[in-house]
Amino acid sequence: MATKLGSRRRGGPPTAPWWFLAPALAFFVFVVVVPSVQGAGYAFTDWDGITPAPDFAGLDNFRTLLDDETARLALVNTLLAAAGITVVQNVIGLLLALGVHARIRSRTVLRVFFFAPAVITPVVTAYLWKYLYAPEGAINALFAALGLGSWQQDWLGDPDLALWSVVAVVIWQFAGYSMVIFLAGLQSIPQEVHEAAALDGAGALGRFWHVTRPMLAPAMTINLMLSVIGGLKLFDQVWVMTQGGPGGATDTLSTVIYRQAFQFNDFAYSIALALVLTVLVAVISAVQYRGLRRREDFS
Amino acid sequence: MPIRTPGRLAATVLTAALALSGCGSGSSTSDPNSLEVAANATDRTAMDAVVAAFEQANPGKQVTVTYADTDQLQSTLRTQSSSGTGPDVFTVWPGNGNPGALQVLQPAGYLADLSDRPFAGAIPAASREVTQVEGRTYLVPANYSGIGVLYTQPALTAIGGQEPRTWDELIALCGKARANGKVLLSLGNQTPWVTQLVTYALAATTVYADDPGFAGKMAAGQVRFADSGWRVALEKYQELDRAGCFSDQPLGTSYENSLKDVAQGKAVGVVQVASSLAQIRTEAPGAELRMFALPAGNDPAKVRMPGAISAAYGVNAKSGNPDLALKFADFLGSEQGQNLYNEQGGTLPAIPNASFRADPALGVLDQHLRAGTTVPFMDQLWPNPKVQQEHFSQVQKLFSGSATVPQALEALDKAYATR
Repeated sequence: MATKLGSRRRGGPPTAPWWFLAPALAFFVFVVVVPSVQGAGYAFTDWDGITPAPDFAGLDNFRTLLDDETARLALVNTLLAAAGITVVQNVIGLLLALGVHARIRSRTVLRVFFFAPAVITPVVTAYLWKYLYAPEGAINALFAALGLGSWQQDWLGDPDLALWSVVAVVIWQFAGYSMVIFLAGLQSIPQEVHEAAALDGAGALGRFWHVTRPMLAPAMTINLMLSVIGGLKLFDQVWVMTQGGPGGATDTLSTVIYRQAFQFNDFAYSIALALVLTVLVAVISAVQYRGLRRREDFS
Repeated sequence: MPIRTPGRLAATVLTAALALSGCGSGSSTSDPNSLEVAANATDRTAMDAVVAAFEQANPGKQVTVTYADTDQLQSTLRTQSSSGTGPDVFTVWPGNGNPGALQVLQPAGYLADLSDRPFAGAIPAASREVTQVEGRTYLVPANYSGIGVLYTQPALTAIGGQEPRTWDELIALCGKARANGKVLLSLGNQTPWVTQLVTYALAATTVYADDPGFAGKMAAGQVRFADSGWRVALEKYQELDRAGCFSDQPLGTSYENSLKDVAQGKAVGVVQVASSLAQIRTEAPGAELRMFALPAGNDPAKVRMPGAISAAYGVNAKSGNPDLALKFADFLGSEQGQNLYNEQGGTLPAIPNASFRADPALGVLDQHLRAGTTVPFMDQLWPNPKVQQEHFSQVQKLFSGSATVPQALEALDKAYATR
């Protein structure tokens, strides 16, 4: 029996015919699944990137990982950066969205202005900020000009500050992106609900908490998911601005993976680390997704 | 029996995927008139000059050069070599210590033996260790570079100083520079590879002046970083910092900004590779540039200078056009090729000859080369790339106060011992 497009199976969602899906799926299998599975296999060998037939090494690479202080430090940095980016980017994104959702004359200009950094390649913004952060760069020069000389910092050279300097750049670039998603959520909330709440005596804060916040839950889910995943994979900005330095203070799992593969020839260990990162991203995303969807349902 | 839909779907997908993956890889061209070369982007000016002269001397032959940055070049060459699609001639790093180095690529069989070529016998004895494997030559060395203090003469004159010949004179000069509102040495330790240069410049004297065979002893496990002249070198690195010799925030200063400081006269000089002379010149055209060896002790006779082959090329063992590839390698190794390569680059020919007119700024390197008081760049003789990367990291930690010299040396010994 042929499957009909748009047919429903016992009240479920419409299903597409299998041949409709096959070309895209074949391409996906070829480009993503097959190389990924083949690549993952190398984590259990001693492959150096050149040897055609590497030896089987069992779980050696994963044992090395447990004793690797650099990888441990990178994991902590990755989690800190992801947490920082997720919280601050979304708070700023939400505030910006609320601001440009208000009926102010310049809101269209402001939306473009806040979103603009998100369309620039991260590598380019990282280069720009590297110059702004230099000891005699624009930021320190600005503080000096404002008579705030004591605020001047070695932004990328101080190991206690460097990671947060990089995180700040990511937030600066993508807060506008979060804003756009929140704005779409805000625009989908019917005005009548606000008016009804106002008639019931709810103030601005009360309306935000009891009306806006619950109805923004889907936008919040998307934003939190995207920023957590982006934060866990952080690479470009770190590589351009610090290459993981000073002394590993800004190393993330991605920079360690890159270094192990392309600077140390230790492709097998690098792949083992990449597998760990993949599992980490998958688990955190899945837990977060379930939690957020439950909250959405509750809202 | 009809196949159920999910099964048919899986079968179709698998067939299509296998069909797609059957699109095999190509191989390098075998057109006898064309040659493919891959080189480091930093060598573009030098290589372009050689290619133009080679094409002129060989009408009808066409050389296509692909330039890439170090990281990209190393990873691309490895992938191409292992799949048999590598260029005919390509940059190979001398010795060992990085993913594109001779000792990494030769054992895998990717490099043609060049021992019988005319230039092979002319390679100076001091450079053979990093161009040969088991007594056979696999590289044509292109240039010879050194590490020392590159400075502008007007800035040195402005602080009322002259080139220091001893450690004490160097420290005194740092004070003099500070008293005149400058720093003696700009330092761009934010850029990882820059961190190693001061250590190498100091270790050349503190390690090798009294023990020229140190690297060999280390490979044999007889000596370590921890209880050697390396300790003195790292301690002196810190002493220079305490004496105010360096820029105020070296960990926040990049390579580019460190050169800019010299070009703009904020710093008198910078500890750098000789090839950076060309870049300072682009920032400060017409600047009178000079170079001196960084003294690490008080006996001028014992001062050593890191000097080594910087760029070198290998011929693909599986080149589709071996005759032309070897001809190009011969040209690179010839007097004409060596001189063309080094006239622009601020470097010396790796295979010396009488007709080369060196940049006056390189006089000191030339003198040390002729006197036999140069020491190879240390990483070229290390057994794996981790030692160099660990060195970058430890120097940054020393400057941020998150490691001590003994801890740094311990970490270097650990990296040296890894596979």
